[in-house]
Amino acid sequence: MQPNKLLKPALYSVEAHDGSGATARLKGGRCRCGYVFFPMQTYGCERCGSHGGALTPCELSANGTLLAEATVHLHADKNRPAPFTIVKVALDDGPVIRTLLADGSAAVAPGQRVTGRLAAVGQSESGETVLDLRFSIAS
Amino acid sequence: MTRSLNALRPVYVVGIGWHRYQNPSETPYVELGLTAIRAALADARIEWPTVESTYVATALLGMASGRPMLRHLGATGAPLMHVENASASGSTAFRHACIEVASGISDVALAVGVDKRNPVRRPDTGIGNLAEDAIVPFTHFALLTNEYAVRHNASTDDIALVAVKNHRNGAKNPHAQRQQERTLDEVLGGKRVSGSLTSLQCTPIGEGAAAVIVASEDGIRRLGIDAGRAIRTTASVGRSERVYPPGAGFDAALTKETAELALAQAKLAPKDLDIIELHDAFTVEELHYIESIGLCPEGHGVRMLKDGALDIGGQCAINPSGGLIAMGHPIGPTGIGQIGEIVMQLRGEAGPRQHRGARIGLAHMVGVGAVCYVHILQR
Repeated sequence: MQPNKLLKPALYSVEAHDGSGATARLKGGRCRCGYVFFPMQTYGCERCGSHGGALTPCELSANGTLLAEATVHLHADKNRPAPFTIVKVALDDGPVIRTLLADGSAAVAPGQRVTGRLAAVGQSESGETVLDLRFSIAS
Repeated sequence: MTRSLNALRPVYVVGIGWHRYQNPSETPYVELGLTAIRAALADARIEWPTVESTYVATALLGMASGRPMLRHLGATGAPLMHVENASASGSTAFRHACIEVASGISDVALAVGVDKRNPVRRPDTGIGNLAEDAIVPFTHFALLTNEYAVRHNASTDDIALVAVKNHRNGAKNPHAQRQQERTLDEVLGGKRVSGSLTSLQCTPIGEGAAAVIVASEDGIRRLGIDAGRAIRTTASVGRSERVYPPGAGFDAALTKETAELALAQAKLAPKDLDIIELHDAFTVEELHYIESIGLCPEGHGVRMLKDGALDIGGQCAINPSGGLIAMGHPIGPTGIGQIGEIVMQLRGEAGPRQHRGARIGLAHMVGVGAVCYVHILQR
C-alpha cells in the first residue's frame, strides 16, 4: 500500500511512523573535508571545492534548535496564501535550514527544540495524500 | 604583486546627478537615465564627448539597455558595459569606473545606474529547496530581526526607530522616493509585512537613476574641472560570501570583513567616519551593519540610535540621504546614489540635511548572492 506521496522526495524521506504522523530524515551530503550540507549535490563543496566522489549522501536528523521565526502577513504568490510562519532551524547534524512551521502549531520562540515531520499538504491527481516537511515543537 | 585602488593614481568624483527615485510610472528608463547623466555632466561642468567610458548598472531592464539610452547624448563611440550585481550593481559599476581611471586607461569615466520595477527572475541552479518560494527578502530580514531582538534583548519597537530617523532624513531629500517624516506610531501602525516588520520599515522598490563621473588629476586639469569640489575615492573593496559558522548572519559577517579591508586600505578607523550610507533595505540591517563596520560593539546599535549618535549632526550620520528605506532602492541606481550623497555632504552642499564638518564618508551595499561592496571617500 502506498497511500502517500512526498512533495519533494529528493530532499527528505520518511523515517518512521509514530502516534503523530511521520518523522523525517533529510537528504544532506558530506564532503571528504568534513563539511556537512543540505541538500545533497555533487557540483562541489562550498567549503573546499572538492567534487564528484568526494561528496557522499548523508542522512540528517530533522531535530534541531529554533534560531528564529517570522510570521509572514503579506505574500504575493497566490499558491502560498498568508499568513504562514517561516522557521530558521540549526539542525543537530550541522546545517541551518529555513522552512515552514506546521499549520496549527503552537507559537515557537528561539532556543526551542523543534523537529521536522511530514505533514499532509494536499492531494495528488491520482488521489494520494501529498506530504511535505513542516517543523513543530519537539515532543 | 597586486595593488589596491589607492596605490594607483588618485581618482576623484567630479560630477553627481539623479533622476528622483519614485513609485513605478510610465516614464521610460531612457528618460530617467538621461536626466541623471545630464545632471552629473552639468555638475562637473564638462561635455559628454569628454567621457571616455561608461558603466551602466541595471538589474531589471533586460539585455543591452545602455546604448539605446546613451545614443541620445551623441554617439561618441566610447566603450560601455553593463553591470548586474543585484542590489550592489551600482556600487560595482562605480568600483570599475574608478579602477579604469586609477589604472590610467581613461581620464574620465561615468557610472550610471538606472532601473524600472520589473519582475525579478532568479536562476535555477538545479538544486532543490524546501520552501524558498515562501522566503522573500523581507522574511529573510524578519528572521534576522527576531534573532537580533532575542540575542540582544532589544525591543522590536526600538529597532523600528531606524525607520523614523531615515524617513526624517529622506523628508529633506528632493531625490528621495519617500519624503515624509514619520512618527514611531506611524511606522509601527503601518501594514504588517513579515514578523515585526511593517511596510515603513521596508524599502519601497521603485524606479529612478543616479550618475557619477570620476576623473584623474590629468583629466581634472585638462578639462578645467573645479578641483575644490572633487572628492577622492580612497578605498574600494568588493567581496563575496564565504562559509561562516552555522547560524552566523552572513550579511553581517560579509560586511565586517569587507569594511575592515576598506578601512585598512584608507588607513582609517571606524571612529574616523563622519557619514555612512549603508544598505538599510530593512530596519534591522542598519544596526547589524554599523556594528559590523565597527562603530560600536555587537548589540549596542540601539543605544547609539536612541542617543541620537546616528542622526545628522550626531557622532556619525547614518543614511543622511534617507537610505534605502526613505530615499528608495531602485536597484541599479542605489549604490551610485549613495556615492552622490556622500560627495554632496563632503563638499558641504547638502543643504538642510548637511552633516556639519563631514570629511570622510563610507558607502556600503550588499547584494543577494551574497556580495558586498564598500567605498570610502575623503575630502
